[in-house]
Amino acid sequence: MVETKNAIDPITAQVVNGALKNVAIEMGHKLARMAYSSIIRESNDFGCALMDENGQQLCESVNSTPLQSGPIPGYLQGIREIMAERGDDFKPGDVILHNSAFYGATHQPDCGFFVPIYYKGELIGFSGATAHQLDLGALSPGSIGIIDAVDCFAEGLQFKAIKVYEEGKKVDMVWQLIRDNVRDSKVIGDMEAEIATCRIGAQRYLEIVEKFGLDTVRAARDYMIDYSERVLRNEIAKIPDGTYHSEGYIDGYLDSPDPKRKDLKFVVNLTVKGDDMIVDLTGTSDQVEDRPINMPFPGTTDMAVYLTIRTILLDSKRFGYIPQNAGMIRPIKIIAPEGTLANPTYPAPTISRFCPGNALADTIMHALGQAVPNQICAGIGNLYMVAYSGMIDKKYWVYMDIMAGSSGGRYEKDGIDAIDVLYANTRNNPIEDIESHHPLSVTKYEFPDNAAAPGKYRGGVGPIRDIEFTDEGGFSVEGEGQKYAPWGFDGGHDGTPSKLIFHDAEGNETSLPSKVPYKKTHKGETLRIVGPCGGGYGDPYERGPEKVLNDFHDGYVSLERAASDYGVVITNNEIDWEKTKKLRDTHKIKG
Amino acid sequence: MKLIGVDIGGTFTDVIYTDTDTGVSRIHKTPTTTEDPSIGMVKGITEICSRYGIERESVNHVFHGTTIATNAVLEHDGAKTGLITTEGYRDILQIGRHQRPENYSIAQDIPWQDRAMVERRYRRTVSERVTVRDGKAYEKTPLDEEKVIQILDEFKQEGIESVVVGFLFSYLDSEHEDRVKEMIHEKFPDFYVTTSADISPQFREFERFATASLNGFVGPKMKGYIESLETRLRDAGVNCDLLIMTSNGGVANSQMISEKPVTTLLSGPAAGVLGGQWAGALSDHNRLITFDVGGTSADIGIVTERGFSEATAGDTWIAGYPVQVPMIDIHTIGAGGGSIAYIDAGGAFQVGPRSAGSYPGPACYGRGGELPTVTDATLVLGRLDPEHFLGGEMEIYPEKAIQAVQKLASKLGLGLYETAEGILTIVNNNMANAIRSRTIQKGFDPRDFSLAALGGGGPMCSVEVAKILDIPEVIIPPYPGITSATGLLTTDLKYDAVQTIFMSSEKVDTEYLNRRFKNLEEDITEQLEEAGFASDQITLLHYFDCRYVGQGYELRIPVMSEAIDSNNVKDIWETFHAAHKREYGHAFPEAPIEIVNMRVTGIGNMPKIGDPNFAEGSHSLKEAEVKTSPAWFRSESSLKQFDTPHYQKEQLPINEPIAGPCIILQKDTTSVIPPECTATMLSNGSILVKIGGES
Repeated sequence: MVETKNAIDPITAQVVNGALKNVAIEMGHKLARMAYSSIIRESNDFGCALMDENGQQLCESVNSTPLQSGPIPGYLQGIREIMAERGDDFKPGDVILHNSAFYGATHQPDCGFFVPIYYKGELIGFSGATAHQLDLGALSPGSIGIIDAVDCFAEGLQFKAIKVYEEGKKVDMVWQLIRDNVRDSKVIGDMEAEIATCRIGAQRYLEIVEKFGLDTVRAARDYMIDYSERVLRNEIAKIPDGTYHSEGYIDGYLDSPDPKRKDLKFVVNLTVKGDDMIVDLTGTSDQVEDRPINMPFPGTTDMAVYLTIRTILLDSKRFGYIPQNAGMIRPIKIIAPEGTLANPTYPAPTISRFCPGNALADTIMHALGQAVPNQICAGIGNLYMVAYSGMIDKKYWVYMDIMAGSSGGRYEKDGIDAIDVLYANTRNNPIEDIESHHPLSVTKYEFPDNAAAPGKYRGGVGPIRDIEFTDEGGFSVEGEGQKYAPWGFDGGHDGTPSKLIFHDAEGNETSLPSKVPYKKTHKGETLRIVGPCGGGYGDPYERGPEKVLNDFHDGYVSLERAASDYGVVITNNEIDWEKTKKLRDTHKIKG
Repeated sequence: MKLIGVDIGGTFTDVIYTDTDTGVSRIHKTPTTTEDPSIGMVKGITEICSRYGIERESVNHVFHGTTIATNAVLEHDGAKTGLITTEGYRDILQIGRHQRPENYSIAQDIPWQDRAMVERRYRRTVSERVTVRDGKAYEKTPLDEEKVIQILDEFKQEGIESVVVGFLFSYLDSEHEDRVKEMIHEKFPDFYVTTSADISPQFREFERFATASLNGFVGPKMKGYIESLETRLRDAGVNCDLLIMTSNGGVANSQMISEKPVTTLLSGPAAGVLGGQWAGALSDHNRLITFDVGGTSADIGIVTERGFSEATAGDTWIAGYPVQVPMIDIHTIGAGGGSIAYIDAGGAFQVGPRSAGSYPGPACYGRGGELPTVTDATLVLGRLDPEHFLGGEMEIYPEKAIQAVQKLASKLGLGLYETAEGILTIVNNNMANAIRSRTIQKGFDPRDFSLAALGGGGPMCSVEVAKILDIPEVIIPPYPGITSATGLLTTDLKYDAVQTIFMSSEKVDTEYLNRRFKNLEEDITEQLEEAGFASDQITLLHYFDCRYVGQGYELRIPVMSEAIDSNNVKDIWETFHAAHKREYGHAFPEAPIEIVNMRVTGIGNMPKIGDPNFAEGSHSLKEAEVKTSPAWFRSESSLKQFDTPHYQKEQLPINEPIAGPCIILQKDTTSVIPPECTATMLSNGSILVKIGGES
């Protein structure tokens, strides 16, 4: 059990931490509002946090994506390592830019900015923001879908603890270098928005320190970190001791002749002992040397582990708000052998690690399902991200589209349709915004009929999304989940994998793998993504017949499948109770 | 003019009457009739009329704040609704923005899926499509009218009551939606019909369709309520027109509300902000934080010399659904008198948002509640007088409050009074943080504001909350408990028109802007004239919703009413840079700006309540004193017991500063004045509290 030092009374602790939380919310709100590119302001692919002088996270933004705010302390750790190697130090007025995946960054597009905070001459903390930048001059336009980068140098600009402001003075030549190397100038505005956000955070943190005193703020920090640790340990302790095993697969590069690039495996052995947990990923496939689906250990692998565990064990529906801070990671030890997908070594490329990371999160959930079956969902449908680009008046435009996934069925609840899943939480962009600002047209965005995975609680449905080029352009894709269907749980059926289909202007259809390097396109050509559908939860024969009838009316299940998958016979839009009973009884006997 | 305002709360229906010629105002409370609130409303009106000898026929206007639509949404109890939408986009309402409300939850609810306004089976598609080319709408696919008729026939058979029409890009060209509406009027006049461009002609299809669906979902219910209310009023001999409070802080006539009930979702809270604004204006305060504290929640609004703040586009959500209509910026947090104090799973001391509500209510109500609440803590500290709770009309049990707080104190290892004070400290800080997010975070310094203490709970905690934020003074209006009803009598008829345009500051077409403004002006003027206003009684306000090109959220910028030309358009850009700097702490002066929407707000002036006058009596402080009893307050950083005088508000001398600590009693609330503060009763019946001891 965690004992908190009695340095602060619970009332003051609550007051100070409420104030800190309020700051992180303000930072997130302002960054989303100030940002230019839709990947930040509409898709919310950013994060903000305050840290103490040791880099321990104090609070994080809420209206953002966990995969961005969670790794912020790791960035700072990386910055400190580099600065120590360089013999450099923080100064008041500095703003530091960092994105090196081998020094704590999640992957290269997620540019972190950090402002050191000083109080009476003493360094007392940091204000940080990370956000997915639109383009950093990689081998093809955009910063997603760079799926054929052969090493970290092919991924675009690398910033290793670069001071973009030195003691308050803008370092103009660094900015010029960035401007010259990015295809879309929105990047500059987005970076300025990140910096403005960090400065607000720093100012607010100082106001809190001035109001309550540094010692009180530090005591409140310890209190809150211990608190988060204690809550998590309480829940781990409820799980029977033992090792829970699961395996999961990703497509990798299905069209590659090289077997080392495809059908890649995650192995999870999750051991619970008392209120400690060890997550051992030994057995996971080797890193892919020259393709960027490797997951940097700090920032992606560790986040997939920490965030999935807290989501399941400390579900906010049951627990309300529990701060995400350094205490959340103390009970969990991760073993990830070097040279594997889960802990790649320099100079392996990592830019397209998003989908593998979510598949790892899903595999961890699968292992936890054996321990806490009522707290998980069946297998999730993973995401697709597409970078669309082109030239207008000799100027590049880049638009990044994030496709919804779907959740599996849940204990006493159906899966969520068309939703971002597990360690990320992005948003789509309105069709009316896309067509107003880019030579693209979203020509379809809806569910396929009869697609939900059967289960006592059915799986969530993934939508179909068609995007047509209304002018010359190009695209590249990073996605997952074409070969391996989302897993069904406890008798629920597996979900359905995703598909990617290209229609040329003549109407010819080509199936594409889940990763497509940059491809030039013509007017009238369309890219279709058929979203994956999450797995079912529990035996579909136990689903209430009225619910199946509702699913039939709503197009989630056909007449035929209502009978074959659920044992529910529907005649003239009504349940035939007699035949249903017969069918269900036969199923029971066959068992 | 004789005006009546009626605000219907969960427990009581508040009625206020004023005669603008004589300045006489009367108030009255009657129990709310939940199953049909119009019964209690008419009863309240007839009662106040008989009690004070007001002739019902002489009433000129009845103003009303309603929660009919809000409750239908919260309880998910509305009409059987069908949607007709563009082929290929059947599930926009279900997909939403594909973002989870909660980051860390498997079991969470997704409001637009778990409580859908339109079930998937009633979402039908029809071939039609409009898109945009060079900023202008163009028809890509014509409307398949045969299919529309077929769908409507099906809806008829399926028992659909309300039809929502939502097509892509209808905010630029509403012809297809209008045509479907016309067909419904012609051939299926029984359907309640809503088109997305009528309700909210702005881009973002999910938000627009969702707003239209909410309107369709609550529409038949609201229409029925208005009809029944008007009949009851007529039967009772009240023949004047009925005006309903809308979320934008104005009122609208019954026809408008029957068509656009989605505009009333914040009807009650909006009236509360207006009531606060009125209370501030009585004592010449025009920079106010209105702070309306009830049993389970507190509503916060901001008023400046430019009026109340409006919510920015994209920030307006009700019960997890986006609502894309103009609203007062009201921030609600789950903190109030009934908020429960407890120790959570990790051992932290928490207060709220869980509330004991009015049943079982706080432990001191003696209705079986055993958990300590904010009200219990206030009672334990001696700041509430058991003999004068709700004017002595309700019995409460201090020993039960002590018991509940003591239990928590033992778990915390703290003393009884420390724990009780801790409960208040935590809840007051939660409230202060909420106020901070509406002030400091938006570039307003709370030190330049006064806090208006409203609701039954506001006067109990406002001074402590003001202290946390360094707000120098608190205004407690004459009747804090009926602020919303009063607010109803301070407003104007207010209709909005909006048009999404997308125009960059680099390519401004002033001729186009002036022409579109003129169109909007004509629409609005026509609506106001239909409502009975002559053109000289109408004020038109113009706005742009702007953002930097590429951004995703807009800020509302006022525009001068004369024609826009290439010169004065620069002022608009300057105003935007300044607004961006204030709102977010930063501006991008080099970046081009995009006008996203243009708006015209039409205001039809209405008669209003005047200043109340509490005659300067010959009362002395001694006469007002009811008793002196011990109460606990923090002073010079330690918690101390003070012999605290209790005064009856009506007996207080006017303009005579009274030193804290003291407790001021009145029927609808109790005002707590801590040490080092001074309270002064003003001739308009408000109490002004200065913090820091000086008067």
